[in-house]
Amino acid sequence: MIELKDVSFAYEKNKPTLKHISLKLGGDHENIVGIIGPNGSGKSTLFLNLVGMLKPSEGEIIVDGMPISYHKRALNNLRKKVGIVFQNSDRQIFYSIVQDDIAFALHNLKLPQEEIDERVDRVLKELDIEALRDKPIQYLSGGQKKRVAIAGILVLRSEWLLLDEPTAGLDPDGKRRMLMLMKRLAANGQKIIVSSHDMDFMYEICDHFFILNDGQIVKSGRKQDVFLDEQLLRDCKLAQPWLVKLHQKLKLPLYANQQALFEAQESELKGGESK
Amino acid sequence: MLVIDKYAYTNRIVNWSPKVKGLVWLLCMVIAFQPVVWLKAILIVAMAGDTIFVTKVSIQRYIKWFYVILPFLLLSIIGIVFTMATSKGQLYFPIRLFGNYFGISRIMLPKGLLLAVQVLAAVVSTYWFALTTPFRQILDLLVSLHLSNLIIEETMLMYRFIFIFIDTFEEIHRAQKLRFGYRNIRTTIHSLSILVKMLFEQIMINYEAMTHALDAKLYDGEFKVEKSRSAND
Repeated sequence: MIELKDVSFAYEKNKPTLKHISLKLGGDHENIVGIIGPNGSGKSTLFLNLVGMLKPSEGEIIVDGMPISYHKRALNNLRKKVGIVFQNSDRQIFYSIVQDDIAFALHNLKLPQEEIDERVDRVLKELDIEALRDKPIQYLSGGQKKRVAIAGILVLRSEWLLLDEPTAGLDPDGKRRMLMLMKRLAANGQKIIVSSHDMDFMYEICDHFFILNDGQIVKSGRKQDVFLDEQLLRDCKLAQPWLVKLHQKLKLPLYANQQALFEAQESELKGGESK
Repeated sequence: MLVIDKYAYTNRIVNWSPKVKGLVWLLCMVIAFQPVVWLKAILIVAMAGDTIFVTKVSIQRYIKWFYVILPFLLLSIIGIVFTMATSKGQLYFPIRLFGNYFGISRIMLPKGLLLAVQVLAAVVSTYWFALTTPFRQILDLLVSLHLSNLIIEETMLMYRFIFIFIDTFEEIHRAQKLRFGYRNIRTTIHSLSILVKMLFEQIMINYEAMTHALDAKLYDGEFKVEKSRSAND
């Protein structure tokens, strides 16, 4: 459980990027939490605060009942619990060969070699990148690099996984794979916090949402609740997911994902035929 | 993107043990620096021929790669063979200059030419090694030679970041060229100065982002480089 109590953060004095944010992450049935907000709304800053790389100028962040302590050892423990994958893959891959980079964090933890090998093998398989194992990083596509970056954090087996804009710059296939991957991870009990302004992607994947605008949480809730107010989303420089538009403009029921919509329509067509 | 690196992964002898390739390279170096000149000449022809054969690179492209070292080679040779002397007899093509003579030194010319052959032989051999050995194999070789971890770490990081640096350079350069930044000498100098400034700024920005990423991966001051698992089998 991660709890923010009245957290504010400012890079420059009197120009706060985060303003009095209070929220709880990791309630029941909230395996994937989405932070939605336009560019510059403070999503990345919030993430950096969550892993102790930035320290709130006001308020505190409580992880599993304990406020974050900013000593090196405490921070290392925090980062074993909360892993973060940044937006730009090139800036977080340091080794020239895929499997060396994935093992990097484990070497830093001084784990025995057999365990490192085992974890790396497992994660390569999980992310379906076994074929890339010995490839040099500079020959990978953007989507492949993204998965290598995620693998480098997944090996830590942290309870929480923070993904900052995981679909930025990915092609439709890359996005689809990201969606599948996150679903699979969540099914295995991984708790994920994801930030993005890709509305359809977020609508499909997240269980709970926080809308961040200008450093403040302007709305939070489940997918049935947060996307209905079109004007609010527009004020936040966001848009409604297409499934919500269908619901409001065409008076269709509100489906949780496109699969549900297609299945419902198909059974309706079949039902129509049999009449 | 550096194409030169691709050959290292797709040549005919990519699966040779890196130790064998390292030994061949060492042998070539010995030949390049031993005193018998005709052996060096044979080495240049043989290694150049073999490189073209195993990497299937076209001769034109192979020769193009030498443009990189040619300026350095020529400058050093020129520095060695041209000299000032007090008498005409010591020089080929003497020119009278400020009461002395300027020209090509009779003693230094053979030495300069010898040096050129030597350097060329060494470079041809090194190209052969670099073009046939994937980077992971080079790391394996360095590790099995028990070199200090600092050197290996540095090598590994340089190989990783040189590509990002080149990509960034090319992106900025292309954007400047598109907007006529290199039309004449004046704009070229101006554009180049902006390019250098931007590269520095990028370094600062990337530095910060990478520090965060290193923190997330619990970096403790050391990049461990070990033998790849396939090399251990």
